Amino acid sequence: MNDASFRRACAVAGLGLTVELAAAIHWTPATFILAAAVGTPLVLLGGAMFLRAVWQVMKDKGAA
Amino acid sequence: MLPLPIVIALAVGVALLAMSYFGGPALAKARAGRLALLVAVVVLPLLLSVGNLSYGFHESSQTTFCLSCHEMQRHGQSLFVDDKHALAAIHYQNRFIDRETVCYSCHKDYALFGDARAKLNGLRHVWAHYVTGVPEKIKLYQPYASSNCLHCHDDARRFREQVAHQPVMDALTSGSVSCLSCHQVAHDMAKVEARELWQAR
Repeated sequence: MNDASFRRACAVAGLGLTVELAAAIHWTPATFILAAAVGTPLVLLGGAMFLRAVWQVMKDKGAA
Repeated sequence: MLPLPIVIALAVGVALLAMSYFGGPALAKARAGRLALLVAVVVLPLLLSVGNLSYGFHESSQTTFCLSCHEMQRHGQSLFVDDKHALAAIHYQNRFIDRETVCYSCHKDYALFGDARAKLNGLRHVWAHYVTGVPEKIKLYQPYASSNCLHCHDDARRFREQVAHQPVMDALTSGSVSCLSCHQVAHDMAKVEARELWQAR
């Protein structure tokens, strides 16, 4: 697996979950919106980046 | 703060992602390690986000959530005014609706996308709070729909048998006459100012 793309995926998902964690600790209407509008999309993006990295590895293996 | 189990679960999720960041490439060499990474980077964060969001949406319907903005606190006090004609007060004080969700129960639209519309209105409130500023006089975005009242009262015996309702029953159910044309006081802000509160006695 490509280390750089994998690490990027982890970092993005981790950032999203950190936003959600911060919002859960200091829970107000504004932080709830922040968690929903920023945290969750980052988690989704990180997951998608991870799956893309895995797909890329499988594709490369198939080609080889 | 949200309940401790949610905070702990999110913290565990963040810790697992940090571990995946540093130890992931080594883990990815084994089949079991790749599966563990799939869980730590995709499945678990997704489940945590969905759980966190759904809990947040549930919490955002609570009275305490609405009243957490200082602009709404006088409206919150209007639930306690000593006025038997103020709609908010009689519904709250007589437990006609669940006190935990008193704002949401009356102000959400019961149509198909009522929940979504209520949440979008909530977004507008937050936008006003932080960006455009709260107007001096707080008012509804559109006239209060009688269908919200009828959602509960429509088949209630007390409503159906009330003499004053008989001549306008059809007009009320069709929406051409508003409940508020007779029940004019929703939140009695004058009595809030005068501190005439029911529980203050």
